[in-house]
Amino acid sequence: MAETVTISIDGQSYQVPKGANLVDAAKLHGTDIPVFCYHPKMKPVGMCRMCLVELGSVTVNRESGKPDLDEHGQPVIRWQPKLQTACTQTVSEGMAIRTSTAKVVEARDDILEFILTSHPLDCPICDKGGECPLQNLTMAYGPGESQFLYDDKQHLAKHVPLGELIYLDRERCIQCARCTRFCDEVVGDDVLAFHERGRKLQIVTVSDPPFDTKFSGNTTDICPVGALTTADFRFGARPWELSEVPSICPHCPVGCNISASTRLDRDSGGKKVIKRIMPRQNEQVNEIWICDKGRFGHHHSLSSNRLQTPMLKKDGAWVEIDWKTAYQEVTSRLQKYGEKVGFLAGPSLSNEDLWEMRKLARRTCRDCQIGLWPATMTGLEAVTQAGVGVGTHLAALGPESAILVIASDFEEEAPIWWLQVKQAADRGAKVMVANARPTKLDQYAKCVVRYEYGEAVEVLNHIAVFARRHDKLNQTLVEGRVDGFAELEADLKGKRVPKQHSEAAELLLDTENLVIFAGNEGLTLAQQAELMQAAANLLILTGHVARPNNGLVAVWPGANMQGALDLGFSAEATVSLLDNPPSMWVIGDADPVAEDARAAAVLDQAEFVVVSTQFMTPTAEQADLVLPVLSFAEREGTFTNAMRRVQRFYMAQTPLEGALSAWKVFAQIGSALPGGDKPRISAALVMRDIAQHVVRYAGMNYTDLAHVETQFPDVGGHDLYYGGNAYANHGGLGIQWATNAEKENYRLTVRPVSAEAPKYEDLTLIPIRLLYNRDVLFEPSTVMHARIPAPYADFNAKDAAQLGIIDGDQVVISAGDLQINVSARVNGQAPTGFVLLPIRLSQLPVPAAPAMCSVQKVEE
Amino acid sequence: MNLVRGFATTFKHILEGPVTVQYPEQERPLRERFKGKHALKRYDNGLEKCIGCSLCAAACPADAIWVEAAENTDEERYSPGERYAKTYEINMLRCIFCGYCEDACPTEAIVLEHEFRLSFNDRRDAIYTKDKLIDPLPAGVEGTPRQTEPGVYTRSIPDMKNPD
Ligand code: SF4
Ligand code: SF4
Ligand code: SF4
Ligand code: SF4
Ligand code: FES
Repeated sequence: MAETVTISIDGQSYQVPKGANLVDAAKLHGTDIPVFCYHPKMKPVGMCRMCLVELGSVTVNRESGKPDLDEHGQPVIRWQPKLQTACTQTVSEGMAIRTSTAKVVEARDDILEFILTSHPLDCPICDKGGECPLQNLTMAYGPGESQFLYDDKQHLAKHVPLGELIYLDRERCIQCARCTRFCDEVVGDDVLAFHERGRKLQIVTVSDPPFDTKFSGNTTDICPVGALTTADFRFGARPWELSEVPSICPHCPVGCNISASTRLDRDSGGKKVIKRIMPRQNEQVNEIWICDKGRFGHHHSLSSNRLQTPMLKKDGAWVEIDWKTAYQEVTSRLQKYGEKVGFLAGPSLSNEDLWEMRKLARRTCRDCQIGLWPATMTGLEAVTQAGVGVGTHLAALGPESAILVIASDFEEEAPIWWLQVKQAADRGAKVMVANARPTKLDQYAKCVVRYEYGEAVEVLNHIAVFARRHDKLNQTLVEGRVDGFAELEADLKGKRVPKQHSEAAELLLDTENLVIFAGNEGLTLAQQAELMQAAANLLILTGHVARPNNGLVAVWPGANMQGALDLGFSAEATVSLLDNPPSMWVIGDADPVAEDARAAAVLDQAEFVVVSTQFMTPTAEQADLVLPVLSFAEREGTFTNAMRRVQRFYMAQTPLEGALSAWKVFAQIGSALPGGDKPRISAALVMRDIAQHVVRYAGMNYTDLAHVETQFPDVGGHDLYYGGNAYANHGGLGIQWATNAEKENYRLTVRPVSAEAPKYEDLTLIPIRLLYNRDVLFEPSTVMHARIPAPYADFNAKDAAQLGIIDGDQVVISAGDLQINVSARVNGQAPTGFVLLPIRLSQLPVPAAPAMCSVQKVEE
Repeated sequence: MNLVRGFATTFKHILEGPVTVQYPEQERPLRERFKGKHALKRYDNGLEKCIGCSLCAAACPADAIWVEAAENTDEERYSPGERYAKTYEINMLRCIFCGYCEDACPTEAIVLEHEFRLSFNDRRDAIYTKDKLIDPLPAGVEGTPRQTEPGVYTRSIPDMKNPD
């Protein structure tokens, strides 16, 4: 345990961590100090006075330096004459508090009476009612009646939209400032503020568009009353009627732990449906936060457009068939095409689905390619060697750590990591951002490195060169366990390091810890592979591996990309499939047709295409057979997040009739092939198979994955004051698989990487990723539509002037055979010579890698 | 002696008329507080009293009530305030007519009334839906949902009064 100090709570002595907040310290030992404004994830402000306690300290004799003792040999405590707010105290040696004396009890009673003077007491219709700290604390500590006259209550607006997602009830607000502090301190978005003074004090949104942050939903969780409600859930159910099912967000590589609040629903024919998504505490993943995409993006699961029967295309028209026929159709085709079958897995299949798909591929032919979609990122090898250490805890990084984010627009691609890195920067961590264009993280970075698109690898190489020159290499590791150092050294030798890069290197390499987040913005697949290797080289050489808070994280473009790579799927296989198209394709939950014109053309030529899917996507339209599968909410499974944490999700919603789990479908098909065995009866058993065959997952099982322990700060427990009943983690903390660096007997390999960058002469189009897009899993969440931008492209002012376009113009971008209609934005985002084009803002494909383009203005 | 007293009682009752009532030809008056089938009440202006708070369902020891709420707007208003019961069902086979729902209701919307002749041929018909439970409209007022003036019906729960 870290350093401790001794404090006395109600006459009992306790050891508590040094520097802890008094409220947290007391809670650790089971003493509740009720709070409203304090929240363990934010700095205390002492606004509500609910946490008043009697505070004293041991008096110390100046001469002897020892505590004065009374006649019983007990230390003398000098009590302060007035009550003090516990939340603003940091524990110190000899501190003493009394939390239940008559004075304290009376004070709490009075504070509650004041807070309730103008509270509407409409608990019966309040979304928080039932899990409300104000309700709870009033019952526990409050006065039975009020001395204030009911008629003197002030009445305020009860339905104030703060943006289209969150509504404010002014009467209910107790002005604790948790919501504004969350936006300022945790997120750093200046969107909420207090307005006016005294009785008129109220929360207003100060941004345009209103409440413009990707994390707005979290304020409804931490609001200690029902003042903030979400448009999505409002009046959806009473909290006690909901049952919480642990799940994992299927939208991005962070893999936030979520809790699906479910209830039977009449409109859905008595099915159990998701009423809302709440965060579930996992300190090493998402703490207690989730982004608005995760919170409001669950509606695909209940969409009426879901497919419910297998369908076969006969003479261009869809015919509904039963599952048995569907299986026969597939198995007979698989046997017919044998070696000429290609497999393609999407970004949000579960590990179990992927495993059965891989088994099916192996059974079909010896070297069937199993590709991964989108095929824009790779680098399993680098992650396996130098991935972040097991136990990495972003929320704990401080001045001793450096974080490098390269080639990624972090907030759009991995919102919660962005939040954590931003807060780490606030705590003093040295954050460095390397990208070809400004991103939101820049403002928190100690150092920003701008390169030209395509030169990302160079930056990492230069840092490695710097490390070598300035004796920053970890010699023991390099000499003991690293292969290929000589070649790498030869390659790096003599490289000139530009000043900007050496400054950055100095900053990064001066710290104990280093985490690198690598994306793929502006990189081709080949360059991205080199970037990953360059990052691994750097981390291995400098010894930033095999320890928590050190290592590499890839910002994959999907929730379970890591799992897919772990199980043998790869983007390289996809490329080879597209280069040598097979006659038959088996596609699992991927939508290449909507995303890539080339893939669309290739699939069009194929003789038979089977797609397992939840929706009639453009890929499904083009297929010959579609197999309806269940959403993440309707079954069990595991996802592996990009920090390699394997995490379980559970069945939250009644499964859609007619659809099956994808793993079951693949297993059924496989069982009919020669040598096929009987399908497993549960996902847990599939995981057992995986654990037996895949080294990385060795020893994993559903029981261990479901293991939970108390986390600090404990906001999901049974206290009355942190609010929200869904923070508690009952579904498991997950297990991270260990990297090779962490296994003593593995050798690590470094190799020279090619930093060769194409010189982009002409106007070049760079595809970028946005959080809110028209992805098939997100688009059915209509509540979010206002946040999805209409298709647009970012132009540099210089290019725009040359092309004669201004902000807001409609333009047609031609790249290869593609014609893309978008509106132009000229706002300083794009570097000269580049056009930034967000992917998936419409159902029409855009290039997946940098591409030459020309631009034409559409005349009105 | 005891024997005489015993027979005296017997003979006294022989002379009294029968207590049996010939139901259904004859009916005994119900007590004021008799608890029969529930009614969902309306205000005099026709708006529904029920605000869909589900407290009745929470109080019900037999788990007989099912409430789903939705949001009122001034264009489509069912009840005062922001919330109304979109679905309101009571399973009369489960109900034990204890009246706890009545006690729990913050708006006096659910009241156990005097109807006790409930019959059904199918268990599913025992689930009384909102349209079976809700009181008829008072004469001459508009039904629900209805369009209302903005800013009038902002409160779900009728104003409390200071104790006299
Ligand atoms: S809206 Fe909620 S969180 Fe914000 S100040 Fe009011 S009570 Fe606090
Ligand atoms: S950060 Fe990613 S995983 Fe977390 S809630 Fe948002 S989309 Fe989901
Ligand atoms: S009378 Fe009692 S049993 Fe019947 S619905 Fe009301 S609370 Fe439930
Ligand atoms: S009847 Fe009363 S207690 Fe039941 S939902 Fe309606 S308002 Fe609430
Ligand atoms: S003043 Fe301490 S919790 Fe509000």
